[in-house]
Amino acid sequence: MPSIRPLVLLAVLFGLSGVFAVTAPAYADDDPRVVRVGTEGVYPPFSYRDPDTNQLTGFDIEVMKAVGEEAGWDLRFVEAPFDSLFPALDSNRIDVIANQVTITGERKARYLFSTPYTYSHGVIVTAKDNDDITSLADLKGKTTAQTASSNWAQVAKDAGAKVQYVQDFGPGVQLVEQGRVDAIVNDNIAVLDYLATSGNDKVKIAGDAGHDVLEQALAFRKSDPQLQQEADDAIAALTKDGTLAKISEKYFGADVTVQGGSKDVDVKASDSRTRWQVVKDTAWPMFVGLVKGNIPLTIFSFLIGMVLAVAAALARLSSLRVLDWIARAYISVIRGTPLLVQLFIVFFGLPAIGLDFDPYPAAIVALSLNVGGYAAEVVRGSILSVPSGQYEAATVIGMDYWQSMRRIILPQAARIAVPPLGNTLLSLIKDSALASLVLVPELFREAQVTAAATTEYLPLYTMAALYFWVVCYLVSLAQGPLERRLSRYAT
Amino acid sequence: MTDLIEVHGLEKSFGPHHVLRGVDFAAPAGSVTVLLGPSGSGKTTILRSMNVLATPDAGVVRIGDSSIDFSRPPDRRAIKSLRARSGMVFQAHNLFPHKTVLGNLIEGPVQVQKRSPDEAAADARALLEQVGLSGREDAYPSQLSGGQQQRVGIARALALKPEVLLLDEPTSALDPELVGEVLAVIRDLAAENWTLVIVTHEVHFAQDVADQVLFLDEGVVAERGGAEVLTDPQEERTRRFLARMLDAG
Repeated sequence: MPSIRPLVLLAVLFGLSGVFAVTAPAYADDDPRVVRVGTEGVYPPFSYRDPDTNQLTGFDIEVMKAVGEEAGWDLRFVEAPFDSLFPALDSNRIDVIANQVTITGERKARYLFSTPYTYSHGVIVTAKDNDDITSLADLKGKTTAQTASSNWAQVAKDAGAKVQYVQDFGPGVQLVEQGRVDAIVNDNIAVLDYLATSGNDKVKIAGDAGHDVLEQALAFRKSDPQLQQEADDAIAALTKDGTLAKISEKYFGADVTVQGGSKDVDVKASDSRTRWQVVKDTAWPMFVGLVKGNIPLTIFSFLIGMVLAVAAALARLSSLRVLDWIARAYISVIRGTPLLVQLFIVFFGLPAIGLDFDPYPAAIVALSLNVGGYAAEVVRGSILSVPSGQYEAATVIGMDYWQSMRRIILPQAARIAVPPLGNTLLSLIKDSALASLVLVPELFREAQVTAAATTEYLPLYTMAALYFWVVCYLVSLAQGPLERRLSRYAT
Repeated sequence: MTDLIEVHGLEKSFGPHHVLRGVDFAAPAGSVTVLLGPSGSGKTTILRSMNVLATPDAGVVRIGDSSIDFSRPPDRRAIKSLRARSGMVFQAHNLFPHKTVLGNLIEGPVQVQKRSPDEAAADARALLEQVGLSGREDAYPSQLSGGQQQRVGIARALALKPEVLLLDEPTSALDPELVGEVLAVIRDLAAENWTLVIVTHEVHFAQDVADQVLFLDEGVVAERGGAEVLTDPQEERTRRFLARMLDAG
């Protein structure tokens, strides 16, 4: 007999609570200190996945590894979009950012910086046939594409440009190419790498973004001066023994770790695979992301979400006013705010009040709450559609509230709720792609990572879409038999 | 011998509607009590007060050694105890549509009375035979005719082995040609000395089975007596009601 068994689901919920263990800062006296390094992984040649091995690599990664070895740290790399890196540092999910973070006055007020390990200058990228823009002054009134928290956004704004925000550098270049924005301001090294890798001849470097030399360094929390000191010592040693210069030569054909070095940068393509090869190579990592990320996220969130939905629905139907109000507020907040905001509040916001979830549990918490809020009204409507005579019949054979709910009302409500809840499940599968923003590796993240390194946006994103579609299609196939099974008693 | 059922001073209002205005009656074990009267006269509310589907505002209900004085808010255990004394047959049968016939019958015995499923199923099969539905154990209610559904409803109420069976217009929702089979089952129960309280409009049937007839009007017992009330009513309003019912029948 299929029936919703809230108690069983509740048990699953409590079983999971072990997963929600709070992460303590990883300090230890004798063992090498665990240092969590935040980096984009989609910013070649600084931080990206090697196309052949799918391992994290790049200039910043190698510098970071050298520093870690010198300082005796046990490094753990955490990949996240650039805009998530500083919140992750603030909320103690990472200890250092190694991602070409430019030292600015504003950032200096909030974070500690190591000795710079890259000196670069900004350039302006425009479409090939755009001759209007050759300097920062020409950006006035124009639109540029920038990542929100990068210093280049501020440079563009200061020049009077209107800024459109993008998730990372690659998509920004796409917008320029497509004529949706006029320009993009970025680090000359990153731009040269992009041009070499993509072979893109639709955009060009139109000019320098001012003459200031920019310094990029490792960023730490203000409360962590010891790490900063150890990093400085390590960088000094690595400069002295020529390690940094060697790493830089490997990537840029010049030593960008000293002032003025970035003028001579010569970037070779970091990837020369054919489009078909790229798609073939990425299919498996994307599948792994789907199986390890999206699918378990969906399953756990849906199960917990259903428990929440049933609880909220029963609270809405309760004669206790307080329960009704709490459930109403919950449903209203969930339905009235973007899932993205809910995810960020759970992951980046709650640590401020001591609720510190790891990425995976944080994603499950946010997605479960979201599903629960949406499904609650569906469940409530289904319960209300069960005739009141059914409650009475259950009552007169001696059942209490929970027995009649579990044995009589909910199984009948389930039949009515399955089609709309099927839609909720399909939405959830697709929404699970947002989990990458709170540092959970998943399918779409894999597509983004490879797309950044290879600029094969269309084939990779199409393949990501295909994966999602196949999963959703299989789920919708299963829905028919389930509906028939639940309805087999009806004529 | 003391009566099995005692109802005393029952009062109930739904908002401005004063539905019961001090109803008293008693019934010995093995007797058949028929509640009769125009719609809105409070018959069904009396039945529903006896198993606390409706909570009276005042009055006492006793079945066997369970009783509740409704002048105080009843506690849960008292309600449970009183409910366990009776079984109820609904006008609209209210069978559980997602359970088979057998599933409907053993639900209460197994889930509430914690009897073993095998034993409950054996009893259930005997009851199905009694109501003439042997072989339909595995059917779902939707696969049965209205008369068969109501006979399952009766068997489900009996499966709990109650002391009293309350029947709320058990044939009113049925097509006329199906009424007979249900009445035949109830007649058998009366013959087997079950204690029955029946709300019905079937006057001829009531004449056959009733040991006691209560004629209700506007929340009070307007006339009471044996089956002769139905053939020789003393009260004018009883007479008018019966004339109407017999015309319609």
